Amino acid sequence: MARLASLVIVLGLAALLLAAPPRETAPAASHPRPEQNIPTQPLAIVVNRSNTVDDLSMAELRKVFLGERSHWPNGRRITLVMREPGEPERKTILKDVCQMNESELKNHFLHGLFTGEILVSPKILATPVGVRKFVFNVPGAIGYLRLTDVDNTVKVVRVDEFLPEDKGYKLHVEVRLAN
Amino acid sequence: MNLASLQSSNHRSPLRLLARGRPYLLLACVILLVASGLRAQQANDSVTVDKQTLELMLQRIDQLEARVRQLEADKQQAAGVTTFFASAPSSLPAFASTSLSASSAPSTVLLSSPAPAKPAAPMLMGSVQSQPTSPSQATPGQTGAGQQQEPESSQSENVMAERMDLSKTLLRIRGFGDVSLVGGNRQAFPPTNQLAQTTSFALGQLDLFTTSDISDKFKFISEIVFEAGPDNIYGVTTGSYNTFTVDIERYIIQYSYNDYFNVSAGRWHTGIGYYNTAYHHSTWLQTTTGRPLLFQFEDRGGILPIHSVGVTATGLIPSGPLGLHYLAEIGNGRESRTPLTAEPVQNVIDDSNHKAFNLGLFARPEKLRGLQAGFSIYRDVLSPQNSNRIGETIMAMHAVVVRSNYEWLNEAMVIRHSILGQTKVYNTPAFYTQISRQFGSFRPYFRYQYINAAKTEPIFPDVGLYEGPSVGVRFDASEFVALKLQYDYTVQRQQPNYNTVTLQIGFTF
Repeated sequence: MARLASLVIVLGLAALLLAAPPRETAPAASHPRPEQNIPTQPLAIVVNRSNTVDDLSMAELRKVFLGERSHWPNGRRITLVMREPGEPERKTILKDVCQMNESELKNHFLHGLFTGEILVSPKILATPVGVRKFVFNVPGAIGYLRLTDVDNTVKVVRVDEFLPEDKGYKLHVEVRLAN
Repeated sequence: MNLASLQSSNHRSPLRLLARGRPYLLLACVILLVASGLRAQQANDSVTVDKQTLELMLQRIDQLEARVRQLEADKQQAAGVTTFFASAPSSLPAFASTSLSASSAPSTVLLSSPAPAKPAAPMLMGSVQSQPTSPSQATPGQTGAGQQQEPESSQSENVMAERMDLSKTLLRIRGFGDVSLVGGNRQAFPPTNQLAQTTSFALGQLDLFTTSDISDKFKFISEIVFEAGPDNIYGVTTGSYNTFTVDIERYIIQYSYNDYFNVSAGRWHTGIGYYNTAYHHSTWLQTTTGRPLLFQFEDRGGILPIHSVGVTATGLIPSGPLGLHYLAEIGNGRESRTPLTAEPVQNVIDDSNHKAFNLGLFARPEKLRGLQAGFSIYRDVLSPQNSNRIGETIMAMHAVVVRSNYEWLNEAMVIRHSILGQTKVYNTPAFYTQISRQFGSFRPYFRYQYINAAKTEPIFPDVGLYEGPSVGVRFDASEFVALKLQYDYTVQRQQPNYNTVTLQIGFTF
């Protein structure tokens, strides 16, 4: 048993060494960095207009987009709307909210569905118009849109008490470049 | 009284048949009746009674009445089916109820009867439409097929759309499988019918994982597993090595009220510790080539009640950043007849009225992402034949850190069997620790596991001591295919120590 105890201690120490912040927990690059010289614009989190939620913390938003929260406070099922892989908006959500890459997100949902902890997988929509229409039509939906794609058919929620046009807002996406 | 009021006052009236576009039936009846009346008058006038003709006509009337009854019955059957579909929209999965904002109204879905495709069906469907009718529509002369053509076509489209959506959302299937090449020097052990380990290709479990969003609140989950090889109940091997069996490993109807209350009924993986509910019957999802011995399945030599049949409730506990969750289960518990030669999961009938229960509590703190720590207590009373009842208590605790780049799993438990009416108590301690870290596509790992059951243990006397390390590496060859190479060294009390090397390809499809 002494050998075992030693082994467990060694393993614990090894784990502590391994517990250095991994890539995924690196601070989110949420603000546009001047040195990058990449023009960005706010990425708004949008919900159905009937949704009573006005403000979400980044931690809550993460749980929602990872399927760890499946219901709104009024009991309605949350329906996630995501853009297709590779879209800049999706990259922003993966990096700054989910803190995962595509493969990790896929595994996360696959595992969650398998264990029964995640009730529904995200709906994938190809265009901002599609996202807007879906969120407009589905009371429990939540998605994301560039601020320029937002209209009055959807409701923008605050993230950590900031609206997209506020200075401290954390979610930004690269500006689309015209062809 | 217009046609609409007639229809509402008498559903089986001949006029309604006429309105349904079946005038020929009614016309035939009327003609026959008039004809028979005229013939009767003529017969009276001429005092010649053609009894044979009259009987033929009466027979014909009977046939027509029978035909009308048959059509009415068909119509009622169709209405019965549409009632089922009429209730469907409220229970459609989120997908259907959400993405089809412009989908058909219930009255339209009502028309989606999949009644047998008889030639007259479309006209019947059109005529039972309960939409408000304009005065012009209410006149019998305008209820012909031509007037119904447009609504019928749109209804048909809606019917098709509804059927397509149903087929799209009802069932999702994902498969998991693995194939291994196993070699080692484990020797045969006749007392438990165990064969020697030869270098062998081995088929793993073929797991079909199915889910269905029955409605916004209800979900169905099942795991159907095809597996080869004999059963191994508490160390005793029975059955053929070369035959396949099919097991329904999980079979759950889940009701999700909100994040704080989810209740499930059916057959599930018991919430003892962490591993059993985090990893199910798929090796691809697991880092290693298989489960720890502690969490091995009942029919593969496991000592825990891995599966239970009953009801379980789970959910969040309002606890802020601590992220507390609860778990409460009640079920049949494990089979306790001795000697056991079949699977101990009591799927249909419990061997006693006493029910097993399991209570658990665990935390997932927000600030330490990936950390989960908690404990559970499982309690059952086993009723072996020709023996005193045995109280079973399983106390488990775990602390795990699981992130995409690394994992560290630690679980320990004590399985306590106490013979009721005696002071004798048997404690079986067990634990495992597993650690791994991702380096690109490679993930080296290490696991150490330990089980120590007494030789006189009343439930699993053949298990004894299992102890040893496992070292391996997982290589993700593609997004859904993993290659694993693992070495195990196992120490046993009743058998010689042995080494095992496993090369496995695990995949999902």
